[in-house]
Amino acid sequence: MTMDPITERSRQVTRRSLLKSGANGLGAMALGSMLGREALAGGISARDVPHFAPKAKRVIYLFMNGAPSQIDLFDYHPKMRELHGIELPESIRQGQRLTTMTSGQSSFPCVAPMFDFKRYGEHQTWVSELLPYTARIVDKITLIKSMNTEAINHDPAITYINTGSQQQGKPSMGAWLSYGLGSMNRDLPDYIVMISRGRGNFQALYSRLWGSGFLPSEHQGVKFRSGKEAVLYLTNPDGIDAGTRRRMLDGIAKINEAKYEETHDAEVQARISQYEMAYRMQTSVPDLMDLSDEPESTFELYGEDARKPGTFAANCVLARRMAERNVRFVQLFHRGWDQHNNLPGEIRDQCRDTDQASAALVRDLEQRGLLEDTLVIWGGEFGRTIYSQGALTENNHGRDHHPRCFTTWMAGAGIREGYEHGETDDFSYNIVRDPVHINDLNATILHQLGIDHQRFTYPYQGLEQRLTGVEEPHVVRELLA
Amino acid sequence: MIQLFAILLLTAGSEEPTQVEFGRDVQPILSKRCFVCHGPDEGTREARLRLDLPEVVGEEQGVIVPGNPEASELILRITSEYADELMPPPGEEPLTPDEIDILKRWVEQGAEYEGHWAFEPIPETSAPRGAGWVRNEVDGFVLRSMEEAGLEPSIEADRATLIRRLSFDLCGMPPTPAEVGTFVADDRPAAYEELVDRLLATDAYAERMTLAWMDAARYGDTSVHHADGPRDMWPWRDWVIRAYKSNMPFDEFTVEQLAGDLLPEPSNAQLVASGFHRNSPTSDEGGAIDEELRVKYMVDRVKTTGNVWLGLSLECAQCHDHKYDPVSQEDYYRFYAYFNQSVERGFQTRSGNAAPLVMVPTEEQEAELAELDREIQAIEDFFQGATPPLAAFEAWHGRERQALLERDTPELGEWYFTGPFQKGSKKEAYETDHGPEALKIDISAEVAGKRWIERADVDGNIYNLGSTANAAVYLTRTIECERAQTTTISLGSDDSIKVWLNGKEVFANDVGRGVTADQDQATLELPAGESQLLLKIVNGGGPMGYYFKMKGEELPESLVAALKPELSSLDDEARALLLDHFMRNSWEEGVAQVAIQEAAVTRRDEVTQVTATVMIMEDVAEPRMTYVLDRGEYDKPRKDQPVEPGVLEGILPLPEGAPANRLGLAQWLVHPDHPMTARVAVNRYWAMLFGRGLVSSVMDFGSQGELPSHPELLDWLARDFIKSGWDVKRALKQLVMSATYRQVSRADEERLEVDPENELLARASRFRLHGEFLRDQALVASGLLVDEVGGPGVKIYQPEGLWNEVSLDRNLRFSQDHGEKLYRKSMYIYWKRSAPQPAMSTFDTPIRDTCVVQRQRTNTPMQALVTLNDVQFIEAARHLAQRLLLEEEAFNARLDLAFMLLTAHPADELARRVMRETYEAQLPIYQANEDAAVALISAGESARDESLDAAEHATWTVIASMILNLDETLTRE
Repeated sequence: MTMDPITERSRQVTRRSLLKSGANGLGAMALGSMLGREALAGGISARDVPHFAPKAKRVIYLFMNGAPSQIDLFDYHPKMRELHGIELPESIRQGQRLTTMTSGQSSFPCVAPMFDFKRYGEHQTWVSELLPYTARIVDKITLIKSMNTEAINHDPAITYINTGSQQQGKPSMGAWLSYGLGSMNRDLPDYIVMISRGRGNFQALYSRLWGSGFLPSEHQGVKFRSGKEAVLYLTNPDGIDAGTRRRMLDGIAKINEAKYEETHDAEVQARISQYEMAYRMQTSVPDLMDLSDEPESTFELYGEDARKPGTFAANCVLARRMAERNVRFVQLFHRGWDQHNNLPGEIRDQCRDTDQASAALVRDLEQRGLLEDTLVIWGGEFGRTIYSQGALTENNHGRDHHPRCFTTWMAGAGIREGYEHGETDDFSYNIVRDPVHINDLNATILHQLGIDHQRFTYPYQGLEQRLTGVEEPHVVRELLA
Repeated sequence: MIQLFAILLLTAGSEEPTQVEFGRDVQPILSKRCFVCHGPDEGTREARLRLDLPEVVGEEQGVIVPGNPEASELILRITSEYADELMPPPGEEPLTPDEIDILKRWVEQGAEYEGHWAFEPIPETSAPRGAGWVRNEVDGFVLRSMEEAGLEPSIEADRATLIRRLSFDLCGMPPTPAEVGTFVADDRPAAYEELVDRLLATDAYAERMTLAWMDAARYGDTSVHHADGPRDMWPWRDWVIRAYKSNMPFDEFTVEQLAGDLLPEPSNAQLVASGFHRNSPTSDEGGAIDEELRVKYMVDRVKTTGNVWLGLSLECAQCHDHKYDPVSQEDYYRFYAYFNQSVERGFQTRSGNAAPLVMVPTEEQEAELAELDREIQAIEDFFQGATPPLAAFEAWHGRERQALLERDTPELGEWYFTGPFQKGSKKEAYETDHGPEALKIDISAEVAGKRWIERADVDGNIYNLGSTANAAVYLTRTIECERAQTTTISLGSDDSIKVWLNGKEVFANDVGRGVTADQDQATLELPAGESQLLLKIVNGGGPMGYYFKMKGEELPESLVAALKPELSSLDDEARALLLDHFMRNSWEEGVAQVAIQEAAVTRRDEVTQVTATVMIMEDVAEPRMTYVLDRGEYDKPRKDQPVEPGVLEGILPLPEGAPANRLGLAQWLVHPDHPMTARVAVNRYWAMLFGRGLVSSVMDFGSQGELPSHPELLDWLARDFIKSGWDVKRALKQLVMSATYRQVSRADEERLEVDPENELLARASRFRLHGEFLRDQALVASGLLVDEVGGPGVKIYQPEGLWNEVSLDRNLRFSQDHGEKLYRKSMYIYWKRSAPQPAMSTFDTPIRDTCVVQRQRTNTPMQALVTLNDVQFIEAARHLAQRLLLEEEAFNARLDLAFMLLTAHPADELARRVMRETYEAQLPIYQANEDAAVALISAGESARDESLDAAEHATWTVIASMILNLDETLTRE
């Protein structure tokens, strides 16, 4: 879109009404954001963000849906070997609540991981044998072993970590960023979501997890899918070829421009632009999704799975391609981590599907010079219990939900390299040092994007709403390089 | 608005000091900048200073000294040069010079406090008189504001625009070309009013109003949380349609939905209405804690009630006193206590409706059930008056008695129970022997630390066994008989069941179900002497239960007792019992009657099985105690702080005689003196018709909300609404009859410059239609619409895999409907709240998992993709093309018909030229490639008229699709 006088003027009108109307002039707000694209590309922000120089331009969030067991992957204490089979002491549980899946159990036998752990990297970080690739990037990442939340079941917990509230109706982090920071590209959405299936026990997802809540709905995550149509309704209908589509759009635009002349309604101009953006997406999206131009080395790095559309590995390659195209926020949801039983077998499979590609993404971003301004986050909605859910046998057991501690890792964009933060007790049950609440994590993510989470607000229902809630979350400065 | 006035104020202020108004100028500053630390919230209040109450003014306190800014601490603090004195404190955003100036002048002018406007009684206002342009009271108010700003009203829109505007605003549907033609040709002054009256009388009007109400009521066809399973709330939605159709007054509409169940002897319809608050999202998550969920539902109800009727967000007072509005945490829990009486559980079902519920038969079902009841009763009456042959009875008695005495009926011992034994999954709980399965049972010994407990269950009944998820329980009893024999037991269970006799498994059924009588039959080979029977019931989630009845002894216990004595020594009661049994079982005439009755009962069961139900409200018999929850947490009730149900007394005291339950709350809301309900309601109607509210923060009438652009008009409308008996149609008619509503929406340079947001209403608004209306418009224009009112949600076209990729366990497939259901009005689209229909979501239909009283209106590329590519719109385009080809001959006539259908105007010169060019370019392409043409005109599942030339049809389909995508088509002008 070239900056003709009409657009320039309507932009000014919109900026003015944007400042005036707050949450209420929604039509105008939406328009503002659209036109804001152009403005932001020129480095102007309509929303007073970033508040300070950002370290991260973009975020790739590898969300492990279902809650991976921190005990079997990262949060290892050699003492656990001695605790294996003993009853969870009351001094550790301290009467804390359990889910009703295990609160009726008569016995709570502790289970040491049924996997080998070795120390890796400069700081001798414990990593499970299940994560051989991640083990080799420990010097590039920060492990937070003291993550915690209040929610003890999936639905509230996953809503909480993604929107800052256990109650539905709030915008997701990606929507906040799209709203606040706008777009850095003209052809793709600001916030893209991809889902991969995983194995084992599938917890549900909900469109509210990438929804826009009370923010204008254009900020909701756009789901990119494997299969013939990456974006819903992207493909021309059978019988409409590219030439026909172009002719249709030109005709529509001519009539719409006349409508603008008649009404002076800036929404008409916006609509013309949006139809053009839709047209560009019809080329840019297939181009993005087509991995045939990737060299062999890509598949060596990410693994053979990356050739199969819809796998976590393929989505990781796509996430890197999106980063290259300056998509602001990419969120991968990988399902299947909810191992209430048969944990030893299922977690092995889950790790096989995710370990190589997660580590590859960090390496790949680094070798392309993108890691310095791309923030990568890996983690789930809570942790899992040291005690077995159901019977503990020689080679099988399960673990229930555990909100009191879990492990998340971050890399890139000014995050410390080769650092472990926080510490849990030998049961990986309680945090003994440097707790990081999920809202602290979110505040830290915003911080890396140049946003002061306290000032990043949206007026709704008489409140200054924010992603990080009404409590007092803190940016975890120790995580920052 | 605030800024607009502030600007006016300051420009004027350069000449002479202007009068500062507390509500307009001062209160917003205090609220936004000071109340967090010096407002209603006791928890965060600093220096024990409250600036939200007038008591702060006075010479003694020295905070605000009227007429003397220099002596007022408030002014000294906000202007201080010293960081340790300055307010707001360093780190917070400082006050602007304008804000300081306003506060100073306010103190100078006497520091008058007023209450927040929305909490003050609605004053009687009289409409300014006006001549010429003014058509009704609305215009008088509007014109006055316009004139003050130096603006003039715009001219009236042409009739075609007006009929399309009215049709969409009031009915969500486009006018037909015939309706447009009639209205345009009818130049009588009464024509407009007649049109409005006609539209307000349609079903479409009721449906359009219901659509908005569905957003507010967070209506959906699924439960939202965890499995997001199906539920049937559509009978409630249909109740809303009927209420709008019959123009039920808004006060009644309110009372029945908030408390229909508490009305004296509520009708079925009133019970259905009370389902409003059963639209709350619910959960069935396995590990969930019942009370946590239950509290969550109550919180949702408080929030929704506050948003919809009060235009207030109460939810922040769940955890602490409200920061801006006078709602303390205790007030919140008093309000909450009204809802906290609900009988429903926290853990609810993932399949269908959870109790309490009510059946909602269709008219035919109702008639059939009544007829069946009559038939069943008639046969009972027959037995009452029947005179069977006495000799036959005596002979029967002799035979039966003899047989009974010779029979060896097994004797059953008492039941003993142990459990629950929980595992990680239901499967595991089912497969695991938790102790007693293989061993000889000793009821005095523990099983894995749990004792056997005796139960006094009576056979033939259903019993609840708790609700532990993924758990097994055991029941055991002895069976004793003299001779070895084979007998049958009839069982029911929730969920799976296994049966052992003397340590040997004799029956197993691994299922997921609710318990009913006689779900399974098992055969027992009883040896002589004592046997041990063991049942294992395994539960996945929700409640667990069982049913047991032994066959073999066909006669009921009471009859056995009556049959034992000699006939001659029977008392009257026993004799009547035996006679009745004889008549029904062994007397030919009676047996025939019973057969008829049984057929009727079976049919009755069949009908009730398929009769819809809807979830309703019901309160517990013994009031539940409500406590303030510490920081809003379900497990931290402050036991020392019990609260009684109560309204926000600061806004309006509870009316005399109002009961202390939801009915009282509803009566309070619709009391004629309530300052908020009517204002909030008419503002919502205004926003629906004018694109923005008189209070533009439609959901926030609190002190942080926007001030009304036309306060007196709002008050006048609210008062008038109450005086009219809360007449909704009248209120809407009054707005659309105004000259304000009838203006053109075009904005000239001057209007854009002075009033870009159109707050002054010197033109009509122009906005994109809702997604539902866009799809319905396409269905109407193409002739595809199946225009029926009500019924279950319909599953229209949507891309594959959308449910399954997010569903729990990945086993939920979307199963699209076919035939007529594909073409129902969009408000009936099945609304799955974890994965809502994507075309509608793209056009801002809310998820509906939370209350929304004003939809967003965005303008995005994804919307273009829907109207250009979604099969629904392509199918509509090809049917529209077919219609054009069949109904008109000439190119321009065809084009005009298409434009009339979609825009209410014929095509203009530009459109003709563009479409002619398109036609000439496309036709040869489709002539050269018939496959492409046929592919295009085969979109969707409906048949096409194959007599039409494929290339011609496809070319017109392209044109129709273009018109469907024009701004004018997508917009209500």
